[in-house]
Amino acid sequence: MMPLSQVYIGDQYRDTGWFGVFMTLLVAAFVLLNIRRARGGKDLYIRRIAGLNAIDEAIGRATEMGKPVLMVPGLSDTINAIAVQAVNIFAYVSRIAARFANPILLCCYNAAVYTYAQETIRDVYQSEGVADRYDPDSVRFVSDRQFAFAAGVSGLILREQTAATFFLGEFYAESLIFAETANSIGAIQVASSTETTQTPFFIAACDYVLIGDEFYAASAYLTRQPVLVGSLVGQDWSKLMIILMIILGTLLNTVQIQGKTTWERTKGVWSQIPERSVKQSDTFMSQLFKPQLEKVKVERPIDPNYVPEKGAGE
Amino acid sequence: MKGNLGEKLQSLPKPILYLILILATSIPLFFPTEVPNEPVESTKDFYATLMALPEGSKVLLMSDWTGSTRGESKGAFRSIFKILIRRKAKVAIYSAADPQAPRVAQDAINELNMERKRKNLPTFDRWNDWVNIGYFPNAEAAINGIANDLKGAFGGRKDFPPNSPPRDVFQSPVLQGVTKVEDFPLMLVITASKTSNFAVERVSGRTPLAFAVTGVMVPETQVFYQSKQIVGYCGGLKGVYDLEQLMESGVNFPDKATGKIKSDKLGTIEGFPDPDNKGQGTRYYPTLHYALALMIIMIILGNVGMFLAKRGDKS
Amino acid sequence: MIPLLQAQAPATSFWSEAFNSSELWTKLIITLVVGLVVMVGLLYAPIRARKPIIAFFTFISGAYWVLLYLWPKPIDRQPGEMPLNTVETVSFWLADSNNVVVSFTQILTGFLLGLGIFSLLKIHLTKITKGHKDAFFSIVLLVSMGLMIWFGYADWFDRLGERGAMLDNRDNWGFTQYGRDFLFEGLLQQMDAAMFSVIAFYILSAAYRAFRVRSVEATILLSAASLVLLSLMGAVSFVWDENVKSIANGNPFILNFQLTEVAQWIRNTFQTSSIRGIQFGVGLGALAMGLRLWLSLEKPGSGS
Repeated sequence: MMPLSQVYIGDQYRDTGWFGVFMTLLVAAFVLLNIRRARGGKDLYIRRIAGLNAIDEAIGRATEMGKPVLMVPGLSDTINAIAVQAVNIFAYVSRIAARFANPILLCCYNAAVYTYAQETIRDVYQSEGVADRYDPDSVRFVSDRQFAFAAGVSGLILREQTAATFFLGEFYAESLIFAETANSIGAIQVASSTETTQTPFFIAACDYVLIGDEFYAASAYLTRQPVLVGSLVGQDWSKLMIILMIILGTLLNTVQIQGKTTWERTKGVWSQIPERSVKQSDTFMSQLFKPQLEKVKVERPIDPNYVPEKGAGE
Repeated sequence: MKGNLGEKLQSLPKPILYLILILATSIPLFFPTEVPNEPVESTKDFYATLMALPEGSKVLLMSDWTGSTRGESKGAFRSIFKILIRRKAKVAIYSAADPQAPRVAQDAINELNMERKRKNLPTFDRWNDWVNIGYFPNAEAAINGIANDLKGAFGGRKDFPPNSPPRDVFQSPVLQGVTKVEDFPLMLVITASKTSNFAVERVSGRTPLAFAVTGVMVPETQVFYQSKQIVGYCGGLKGVYDLEQLMESGVNFPDKATGKIKSDKLGTIEGFPDPDNKGQGTRYYPTLHYALALMIIMIILGNVGMFLAKRGDKS
Repeated sequence: MIPLLQAQAPATSFWSEAFNSSELWTKLIITLVVGLVVMVGLLYAPIRARKPIIAFFTFISGAYWVLLYLWPKPIDRQPGEMPLNTVETVSFWLADSNNVVVSFTQILTGFLLGLGIFSLLKIHLTKITKGHKDAFFSIVLLVSMGLMIWFGYADWFDRLGERGAMLDNRDNWGFTQYGRDFLFEGLLQQMDAAMFSVIAFYILSAAYRAFRVRSVEATILLSAASLVLLSLMGAVSFVWDENVKSIANGNPFILNFQLTEVAQWIRNTFQTSSIRGIQFGVGLGALAMGLRLWLSLEKPGSGS
């Protein structure tokens, strides 16, 4: 047994691994650095995203037809980054709709998202100076059951004959129900799901689809706020770093696996073995991601008030 | 003429399409057919993992399916439980995706028990063989809590011993001696949502993970299987059918030369032939064929129509 | 006493005390008083101070999770052990608090459900009292909600007592159990399954409409989809693979053209790598978004 005083503090990452923590901090550093650069006036480029350019066109079409715009911020169980991002994009959509006096419908799956959406959309109308146009019932909680929500929203689409629909956020099986229902009435659709399983359904049924990261890029693209643009560039730096690691890892592994080794790490302890071919678990990259550190036993004093728990059946 | 036919072919009315689909999927249910099939590697690995469990092992099962996905998930659930009962495993069930999920799992086990009673087989008893720990809202935080402090996460949860008021689940034989997630030799996830992703994030590497997912989640789950973050998975209705065939025939069983289902990677894994092995997978797999065939035919018709319409326009 | 609480933390740490103990009541009262003071304080706080206050609480809440992730976990911790040094003291404190903090989200979910019910009641009662043309459906909704709540709770109360386990056996059911079963199994589960089944129809119409050879990319999409669809049909795979095997005569190159091999190759090369790539992007986006929210750098709903 090893008393902890003889173990370095860094050893306490044995169970969790230091590499993941290091990478996370690096990504955070990239994001914060680029936010600082953007705030400092640096002009940072974002490529064109067709789905986001279509927002104005979609709302214009809805205004011409005199029909409402429907927005669904996904089926997040809690108010998370995805739901907040979706509502932020819808704030932009609502701003345009408010200017054109176009009615909106925002259907929420989660009550927390509902309260956040209500506050945000009300603030948007107030900031546009048209607080009287805001209808509190335009932001509504439908249901927190997946298919009850799907039935409710589909019903709304068919009854209200929405001209433009925006499905942005976390979607699951009901994504195709929404998309096909809106397609059946000829609505223009802009969609994005953070679930890769649902993206193909949106691609098959919707007019414009934001794939994966484009969803998070949307708010930066639409508002061009320095914080958001800088954050987006920071994400791109992180992706470049991941690409370089993949290339480096592929090359290293390809070279190493051709060779032979006489050392093997078993339960965290290096020991000599008869020469054999290098296995995947012997390579540098594998050791980096899965340290296989030796399990350490630590002596600690026992709490005098501690009472061991009783077993089953007592 | 060509243009008219082309236009018609690429814009068939939806009610006609839907009626054809209803007929194509319902009629085969009345005329069961045996469909030749080779189980995929991921399901073979899934089956091998379950059959390799030592008798009496404790298994943690995250059951996150409900009535909506019962076409696939219920079949997988029933097959998995038949194998676990055979291995005399003890199963701790909890849910994190949907409040309906614990009740749905319970009802499925009760159905299995009623079938076993009819055949005078011992039932899979609540409290002694399985416990229902209940529903945990906020799946991500719940799985994080379970991975870091299982006793704390399940602390205070109660289940029903026979003829007794509810008691702490850790007093059950199922969770006796279990203090952390590593004490389970296997964690199973039967899901139709992204709770499988949370399980990989938090639990992968600490205890072996195996999934039973719906067909639409197969591409995503394949990613985890390929990188060996999970030991195997059963995907969609085909996966259920594969599992039923594996239960019937085993792998390389009785030996590689004569076994119906072979694998170069795996050794001999016994099957246990039983008429009851043929469940939802066997019943519904032919229907899947007809539905997919219809889809392919409609895609071909649509493209033929498009070409004819283009030719008609040119002439 | 009917145990209304579903979960209790073990009575061994700062985060919990023994049931009905004076320490527990003291902590509850202090927390309630502090919570009320904070709530009233927020109501009367100057408008300018609201954003910094919200930013402060956001930062504290997020800091907990960041600390939990970054701080070293205790090595080989056994029940009843005490920490050796300051680093371990913080590690133990964080580990013990995790399940309590997770319980906060569970409690919030319960209250949010109440908020959702309030919203539904507001909208639909308004429709009923104003005689809206769809008021009948609002009545159906509210009656269904009421029935489900009543039967659900009644069944749950029945199961709390000694008869709880006996109610797994249908022979011991009463009116409440039959009612709950009719509403849950008979109606809700079937309606859920029906809505999910509707997707089959939509998939067919979407595939019929979308999979056209309009461009190079659409052709590639159609080809890949067709191969994967065919590989899911066991009968087709079997016939195709048998034909390839008979042509190949053991030639490993030709054996690669079995349908199962081709479909697996599509999954292993294109599909897996694409999904990984998208997931990297989504994950980084979520991390950046979380960072902006935590540090209150995000300005919701502003700008154009």
